[in-house]
Amino acid sequence: MERCWQDHCRQTIMIRSIFLFLDRTYVLQNSLLPSICDFCGHSYRDTGLELFRTHIISDRAVQTRTVDGILEQIERERNGEAIDRSLLRNLLSMLSDLQVYKDSFEQKFLMDTNRLYAAEGQRLMQEREVPEYLHHVARRLEEENDRVITYLDQSTQKPLITTVEKQLLGEHLTAILQKGLDSLLDENRVTELALLYQLFSKVKGGLSVLLQHWKEYIKNFGGTIVGSPEKDKDMVQELLDFKDKIDHIIQTCFQKNESFLNAMKESFENFVNKRPNKPAELIAKYVDSKLRAGNKEATDEELERILDKIMIIFRFIHGKDVFEAFYKKDLAKRLLVGKSASVDAEKSMLSKLKHECGAAFTSKLEGMFKDMELSKDVMIQFKQYMQNQSDPGNIELTVNILTMGYWPSYTPMEVHLPSEMVKLQEVFKTFYLGKHSGRKLQWQPTLGHAVLKAEFKEGKKELQVSLFQTLVLLMFNEGEEFTMQEIRSATGIEDGELRRTLQSLACGKARVLNKIPRGKDVEDGDRFCFNADFKHKLFRIKINQIQMKETVEEQVSTTERVFQDRQYQIDAAIVRVMKMRKTLSHTLLVSELYNQLKFPVKPGDLKKRIESLIDRDYMERDKESPNQYHYVA
Amino acid sequence: MPVKKKRKSSGSDDAGLRKCKITSFCRPATPGRLINSEDHFSSKKCLSWFYEYAGPDEVVGPEGMEKFCEDIGVEPENIVMLVLAWKLEAPNMGFFTKEEWLKGMTSLQCDCNERLQEKLDYLRSQLNDAAVFKNIYRYAFDFARDKDQRSLDMDTAKSMLALLLGRTWPLFPVFHQFLEQSRYKVMNKDQWYNILEFSRTVQADLSNYDEDGAWPVMLDEFVEWHKVRSAL
Repeated sequence: MERCWQDHCRQTIMIRSIFLFLDRTYVLQNSLLPSICDFCGHSYRDTGLELFRTHIISDRAVQTRTVDGILEQIERERNGEAIDRSLLRNLLSMLSDLQVYKDSFEQKFLMDTNRLYAAEGQRLMQEREVPEYLHHVARRLEEENDRVITYLDQSTQKPLITTVEKQLLGEHLTAILQKGLDSLLDENRVTELALLYQLFSKVKGGLSVLLQHWKEYIKNFGGTIVGSPEKDKDMVQELLDFKDKIDHIIQTCFQKNESFLNAMKESFENFVNKRPNKPAELIAKYVDSKLRAGNKEATDEELERILDKIMIIFRFIHGKDVFEAFYKKDLAKRLLVGKSASVDAEKSMLSKLKHECGAAFTSKLEGMFKDMELSKDVMIQFKQYMQNQSDPGNIELTVNILTMGYWPSYTPMEVHLPSEMVKLQEVFKTFYLGKHSGRKLQWQPTLGHAVLKAEFKEGKKELQVSLFQTLVLLMFNEGEEFTMQEIRSATGIEDGELRRTLQSLACGKARVLNKIPRGKDVEDGDRFCFNADFKHKLFRIKINQIQMKETVEEQVSTTERVFQDRQYQIDAAIVRVMKMRKTLSHTLLVSELYNQLKFPVKPGDLKKRIESLIDRDYMERDKESPNQYHYVA
Repeated sequence: MPVKKKRKSSGSDDAGLRKCKITSFCRPATPGRLINSEDHFSSKKCLSWFYEYAGPDEVVGPEGMEKFCEDIGVEPENIVMLVLAWKLEAPNMGFFTKEEWLKGMTSLQCDCNERLQEKLDYLRSQLNDAAVFKNIYRYAFDFARDKDQRSLDMDTAKSMLALLLGRTWPLFPVFHQFLEQSRYKVMNKDQWYNILEFSRTVQADLSNYDEDGAWPVMLDEFVEWHKVRSAL
């Protein structure tokens, strides 16, 4: 049967080819001799075509056979077999010359295509992985395009490609995305993603579906980064990496499509704020870790780039006050302990923040820098002043004058300082108040640090320690062994602080004291004695700066302070609005407040503040309609 | 529970009072009428009536008040005493000063216990007027408030609410339970005022409660609490 058809086909084709050839020659002749034989040629050709159409093609059987034959050939080629393409080209151009291409062939062809690819799409979606499938689709499209170029009529291109795209992609948009997008993004398969974008952009509605899933993916993935407290330590780094990856994908795969970029921003903002406050806090700490000295991994340019990236994440954060509080606390530590990696980097970060949040946001931070500079000047003057003093003393004193309000508030702590230190403090006080009368000086022992000279059996060492550590160590100038109670009453250091201090001296890496009995934790009855056998390869030893580490209480109190501040800000905003409007309904007041407040608030919290203000007679409810408030002057 | 007792007692008291009126008043009714129509209100008589109960400091104090209540046949916790205090514009619970007495009783045209007893029904009827009731309700907050406090302590607030809304507000028992378990120690004026609004406008099934409205947080919490409880 097959061979029979083949033979027949070949014969018919031969005949047709001859006709075709004849026809072509006429046409050719026509065009060569247009002036003379114009009319004749036309009629010749027309007659030929007419004859051919009526006698052969219009014969239903022949026509169906021919078309079926062509279709079968095409299907074979689609299945990967090699076929005689020029034959098809000739036949098809003949059909189109005979003006039966559209009616007899194209319709059928498109229907066939539709059926074939519908089935193929269904089947392959089941069988294949998404990346494979995408490549397959791309190849199919290429093939079909090639087909159009080599033997199909140009007019078929559009409907044909649309059909293929519809069957292979359009029908499966959501399925493809659901099945494959996440893993493509997870594995960062740039080529496939680019292909995906390219293919989807061809199908109507494809990009909007992709955009939707894109948003979902970012929100979900980001949500897991932000939402798991056990991974807090790496959250910011992961966020930065994630952002880099997403940026890269938009750049290379999504042709920097604006709406994808915006969707990304929107999604980031959405998930970063899903967990309130913590991300802001962690970003501040991350910046601290980068700006702190001893961070050798980055050059200045790299650091600058990292800071820029952080600022992008920071931009998404709603409660920027939390960031400020933690940033300020860490900055204070860096400045006071002299731990800042570089002043330039600090200043650059500050200007970035200023640019992002305005001058009001950074004024206090700038004040801190100013304090440090002023303190330097004061110290130069103080040194000169000391030289003119009769009793210079043997302790060198450096003082940083901190303006209250700029700096985080430190709880003042009373400790017993050695008389030499107290005397020196008095000298400085006289000196400073002599220059600036009317100011109040308050010493902050928690922030002090000192360098002590000590003599061990091995030789002389210098110990760089905190003020509390100093006080404890100085006691061992007077005696060999002290109990914890004795140390506590002698130094006056608060219990928890003292335990930490003793732990750092007797249980840390550099054990200049011995604890009896040995152990990791400091218990009530423990005794301490000087460790004369202390050995260390360095001359100047820094004993674990406890104050560099943030304690849990510190973290809690910083957060609490932020919340307290927020309450004041809400109160202030309510009064401001009410003062301006005099009378306002609840809904309007609340929406006005949401416009003014820069941090996330729950409506319930707003109500509590409103009630508190009503209770304090700043405003009152309307006597008749409880939804209306009046400002009370 | 003190409130329950109070409610019950005020209810039974009412009945008792009505009975008492019938027994002790029906007979002298005619002469009473005669006095009423013939003799006009006498401020002199009113003043001496005041001194029957007032102490040397010219104030009707707790003891005088008790006797006064007994004489007019009303329990001190009865809501009508609140209405009377409101009429007299007395700022402190349990005390009437001379000025308040004279001014208030003059406006009521009362100069003796009998005349006042006749007015009790009128006073009670005042509670049925929504606008007047609102005034009385609002007055009750300041009346019951400890004068060096801005807010009402919770026990007083609960009793006063029971007195004022106990009979009319179907949700009151639930609300009372809510207050029992809540950590609120005091009730401020705003909350007090809004409870009346709430009892008047919000349906018993809470279906028309607007969580985004301006209701005080206490009422938001009550609604939340009640919904959770009834869902169980």
